[in-house]
Amino acid sequence: MSRMATRQWMTTHEWMVKPMHQREWIERRGIMIWIAETFTSLGAGLYLVSLFINSWWGLLVGWLIIMFLKLPLHIAYFGKPWRFYRTLPPFSNAWKTSWFARGILFSVFFGTFGFVQLVFGQPDLANLIGTSIANPIYYTFGVLAGINAVGTGIYGGFIMNYVKGIPFWNQGLLPVVFILAGVADGFGLTMGIGLGGGDASVSWAETGSSYLLIINILLIIVYLISARYTSEVAKISVQELLTGPSAFMFWGGLVTLGMVIPAAVSLVSLFGEASTVLLIIAIVAHTLGAFALKYCLLKVGIYRPLLPKVAAY
Amino acid sequence: MRWGMVVNLIKCTRCHACIAACRIEHFLPMGMNWPRLIAWETDVPGEELTTIPVRCNQCKDAPCVEVCPAEATKKREDGIVYVDNDICVGCRYCIIACPYQNRTFLSRDKDPGYFPGYERTRFEKAGRKIYPHTVGTTEKCDFCMERIDAGLAKGLVPGKDREATPACVNTCQARALTFGDLDDPESEVSKLIKEKNAFQLHPEYGTDPSVYYIDGKIGNAPSNIAPREEQTASHMQHLSTMEERAKQIFGKK
Ligand code: SF4
Ligand code: SF4
Ligand code: SF4
Repeated sequence: MSRMATRQWMTTHEWMVKPMHQREWIERRGIMIWIAETFTSLGAGLYLVSLFINSWWGLLVGWLIIMFLKLPLHIAYFGKPWRFYRTLPPFSNAWKTSWFARGILFSVFFGTFGFVQLVFGQPDLANLIGTSIANPIYYTFGVLAGINAVGTGIYGGFIMNYVKGIPFWNQGLLPVVFILAGVADGFGLTMGIGLGGGDASVSWAETGSSYLLIINILLIIVYLISARYTSEVAKISVQELLTGPSAFMFWGGLVTLGMVIPAAVSLVSLFGEASTVLLIIAIVAHTLGAFALKYCLLKVGIYRPLLPKVAAY
Repeated sequence: MRWGMVVNLIKCTRCHACIAACRIEHFLPMGMNWPRLIAWETDVPGEELTTIPVRCNQCKDAPCVEVCPAEATKKREDGIVYVDNDICVGCRYCIIACPYQNRTFLSRDKDPGYFPGYERTRFEKAGRKIYPHTVGTTEKCDFCMERIDAGLAKGLVPGKDREATPACVNTCQARALTFGDLDDPESEVSKLIKEKNAFQLHPEYGTDPSVYYIDGKIGNAPSNIAPREEQTASHMQHLSTMEERAKQIFGKK
């Protein structure tokens, strides 16, 4: 008998009877969405921080992450990847109502404006054509790319927060979590750029990273508490994170790697200078924490059941 | 005009005929489900499972339409929400956004053929010409819009004339499904909704579903237990007719 024949696609009579996890965006090919979402955060965050401190290498790496890691993964996840163009005007005007369509537009604009900024910001080229011509173009496109980097970094939060059936996601704070986590990731990677000999200040990035860390810890605590009291199903999501099947990713990945280790390294550098090895550990831990955050959010997306009897969920 | 359906849970005998009818009508792949009969145990000792037939609610304010980045999910003037599978990019945002989870992504493994490991039957091949079921796209119940359109073109009335009425409604032996125009206060569906205090699933989402439910005693109140005798009465009646007919046939032999 074919292996296919024995496959169970769904238990149809139990579908949406009890609180049910979303699977499309985290299981099987859905893993691509998780990874793509994390790269979105890392790339957009790094670009924004690099814009702020004017680090060309940071801009380049951020741009590369979005264009060559995030976008291809997102498109590869599509059931019909070659129809990608269908999501863009003039083929579709869905940006009027759909955050997904807006996100794709942000990414495309970001890619285009960012490319121009990078070209005119490249020191050799800028010297060649003259900084009086190159600089205005560099800064103008920097603003445009920056606006679209914000859009790229935040749209995932709006996509998820729109889903009324998943109360844990359906929180106004979610887009804020997305963008601030992205900026924190950006600071982490900026340290890496500085350590790698790029044009970014390690100590400055470290200070920024520490502040963002504190803000993000508070934000996540507030998010969990507010979700906990939103509905019974959101409470299940919170329980799964704290003590359930996703607890390992939450405590081990998000809290320990994403928060405790970077915070410990920050503390060390507060009282002296953290060694390069410690800084590298902090950067790697922070980046793994970024993956854990997106995993946790996607994994505990649980739908309220259909039945009137359990509408209280 | 807005097409709608009323599901009478008192009459529904949990027989799965509507599920089969839809599969046959649309040549659904083995792993694809448009309507479903969901079941759960009641907390009444000795009671049997309680079930609800569900399908796409053809929401008036459908999140799946709003979120689709390719405008592949569309809403017609008559309220039917459908997917244009020639446009769908398979991003699955509509699946995530549907709070009722009434959409299914057709992946390759959900379409192994009716007899996996063997060539498709002629029946399947013929069906694919009418309903291609494109792997890599999303599907759902579309209120049998082809039947409705073809019927209307012939001057028939959906919900009254079988040729213009959804397959599941036609098939339901217990007459638990009623179809018609929600905008017409004189239609059977509108009257049933009013008289029987029919309810929608999760109206608080603001989606305004076009599928309503009647449950013996509940109206809008949460309860899931329709009287057993009433549930099965129509089915037993139906069976007795069959019994009579069987006697006639076999008696002759
Ligand atoms: S039930 Fe789901 S798929 Fe159907 S119209 Fe409503 S939101 Fe869309
Ligand atoms: S899967 Fe298809 S129908 Fe659904 S939102 Fe994406 S493009 Fe639209
Ligand atoms: S209305 Fe048509 S498409 Fe929808 S469940 Fe019934 S038979 Fe299937």
